Amino acid sequence: MADPSLGLYVVCDGMGGGNAGEIASTLAVEAIQAHLAEAVRHADLPLIGPFNATVSVPANRLASAIRAANEVVHRESWSRPDYAGMGTTVVAALLHEEVLAIAHVGDSRFYLVRNGTIQALTTDHSWVAEQILKGLITQEEAECSPRRNIVTKALGVESSVDVELTEVPVKSGDMLLLCSDGLTRGVHPNDILHILSGSEDLPAMSDRLIVMANEAGGDDNTTVVIVSLRDELQAGLWERLKKQFVA
Amino acid sequence: MPEILSQPATLRVKLHGQGVRHIELTLETLTIGRKADNTLVIEDPAVSGHHARIVKVQAVFFLEDLKSTNGTAINGMPITRHQLRDADVITIGQHRLVFQENATSNTAAPAPFVDLDRTTVLRGTDRTPDGPTLTAKVLVVAGKTDRLEYPLTKHVNVIGSQDGAAIRLTGWFAPKLAATIARRGHSYSISSSKGAKSLLVNGTNVMGQQDLKDGDQIEVAGVKLTFSLLSGTKNTSR
Repeated sequence: MADPSLGLYVVCDGMGGGNAGEIASTLAVEAIQAHLAEAVRHADLPLIGPFNATVSVPANRLASAIRAANEVVHRESWSRPDYAGMGTTVVAALLHEEVLAIAHVGDSRFYLVRNGTIQALTTDHSWVAEQILKGLITQEEAECSPRRNIVTKALGVESSVDVELTEVPVKSGDMLLLCSDGLTRGVHPNDILHILSGSEDLPAMSDRLIVMANEAGGDDNTTVVIVSLRDELQAGLWERLKKQFVA
Repeated sequence: MPEILSQPATLRVKLHGQGVRHIELTLETLTIGRKADNTLVIEDPAVSGHHARIVKVQAVFFLEDLKSTNGTAINGMPITRHQLRDADVITIGQHRLVFQENATSNTAAPAPFVDLDRTTVLRGTDRTPDGPTLTAKVLVVAGKTDRLEYPLTKHVNVIGSQDGAAIRLTGWFAPKLAATIARRGHSYSISSSKGAKSLLVNGTNVMGQQDLKDGDQIEVAGVKLTFSLLSGTKNTSR
């Protein structure tokens, strides 16, 4: 989901039997957007969760929105037997001025493309990633592991959630990529970079990425959001000007 | 001034009997050993043909010993496979490699390079629960700001007049966002913004982003600042 008026970009990848996964991810995306929209109207809307002083107020607001989404999905998971245990990952970015807040729970990922290089700015909350961090397995072993789809954190499974939050300065010319694991499992970052460095428009690029993900054996519900900051940073100024001149 | 962007992590290499050089860790794998097919070749019979390698997994780096004869150590501790953290010293025989992380936010809080003596001098508010110990601050030399000294506690420290700016400019025409100082691990860099006409570091114009070192003089939006790095882990020339 992309909401340029809020500067909000979100990818959620749902888990659960039947269509519960789809329900969970949709609920989460809507709840995050609603919380942030509400915070624009009422700046004193209480924050959910502790305040993190190493990041800005908007970043804290993003984490708060994700915690709100966790509450919604968790509550709904109890409302019907076929929703039991449903959950979703989330990766979300919130742009304010030239600073980008990035939050995630689970194994959906954020990449920054800048001057011909691509860099992951999140590390997955997955069983294999944690095994790698502990030095127990290698990246190659992780890719073949039958447990590679296990996430260690997700929205909706418990009543509170630990949101990983960071913030970076960004500039015009940067590109942002948010994606579910369907892309990252099958497609090498260099190939992703190659597609994003082309001169196609953004929808064509995201179609190509999804095709590549599916060809690499993806699960057919790979989600991708690409943001080109050249337009966004300029759009920000235009939106502000519009508000001044329109009654 | 050439633009130095999101710098990858680097390895400060000090081979026995040679000078210091720096290698950027831009590749997914960097191999180390005596044979010529390694990325970093060390011509020393005590080093195995394929001795060790550094692999990059998403945003973190790992050192792996490739079953070498004499082993590989991190900070004096022999390892097989171990995550690298900023300022870790890798020893292969008599050769020293220092891992210097510039990548943005690592997930695990980096093993804090806390000098207990220094910690007791810091104010209580400087120690953030989920970030590294305070390692840098900015001193105001000239210009209108609300304070004279600012600890850099955040990932992104905004210099500007906006609410929430880490370094708050109070002049009448001060831009909301003049520049930002970002922290990555234990390194800091300053980025220009379209809010300010120019950004000077030590008198030279900066377009884009530039790493900061202790003592750098910053001039932007009518204020002059000195960047002060408190951490003792930076290289000092001997």
